[in-house]
Amino acid sequence: MNAPARVGMVTTVITFLAGIWVFLAPFIVGYQKVGQDWIDATKNDMWTGGALIAVSAIALLLFLSFGLRDAVRAAERREADLPEQEAPQS
Amino acid sequence: MTKYVVGIFGSLLGALGGIWLILAPFALAYQPEDADWADPTFVDFWTGLPLLLVSVVGLAAFAGALFMELRSRGIIPPPSVPQQQGSPAGAQAPAQERSEMEQLLMPLVTAMLKDMQERDKDRNTENGEIPRSAGYSDARQVPTEGSERSVQR
Repeated sequence: MNAPARVGMVTTVITFLAGIWVFLAPFIVGYQKVGQDWIDATKNDMWTGGALIAVSAIALLLFLSFGLRDAVRAAERREADLPEQEAPQS
Repeated sequence: MTKYVVGIFGSLLGALGGIWLILAPFALAYQPEDADWADPTFVDFWTGLPLLLVSVVGLAAFAGALFMELRSRGIIPPPSVPQQQGSPAGAQAPAQERSEMEQLLMPLVTAMLKDMQERDKDRNTENGEIPRSAGYSDARQVPTEGSERSVQR
């Protein structure tokens, strides 16, 4: 993985954490009282926070999955190339 | 390569989420106009703005990573390296250009020199003067046989 991709991953993790914060903010900051009907701000924050968590989590999972797939393919290619290189010597 | 495209889309959606958080208090009208900002407005705005910036950085990073990947696979051509003076690769091209230029100009220069020599000779014979010094006339001599041939051509 190259350096810009690492930066991109870090920003995705930050987005995930921001989603958790937005999801919980109404209760942490205290503009949503527990046991009362949800106000518009709470509904918006929970939907937006939930969407951010979902999007960043999916992006991270897919990124890692595709990265793993690429690594496996590269390893397979290396293994396939190795016997061909060794064959003429033996 | 697909992983970078996924990252780009994730960052793009994160940036849109940030924009929405900045605008939501006013769009959903839980921040009254001409009033001090309420707590939800503060939270949404000051979460949305950094989120937007972070997502834009992420977007640029994933786009850069994709660009590097495409370049390493040869899909995007590598940047043209400025040719250094003194290096064989850098010296070859100007030398070739120079020789082409010489080939183009040589017939013209040869014809001019020949013409000047003839004019000098005529003037000297008219005035009955001794021909000028050897060095001077040498400088105006036709350089090579090859170039004369090119004039004839």
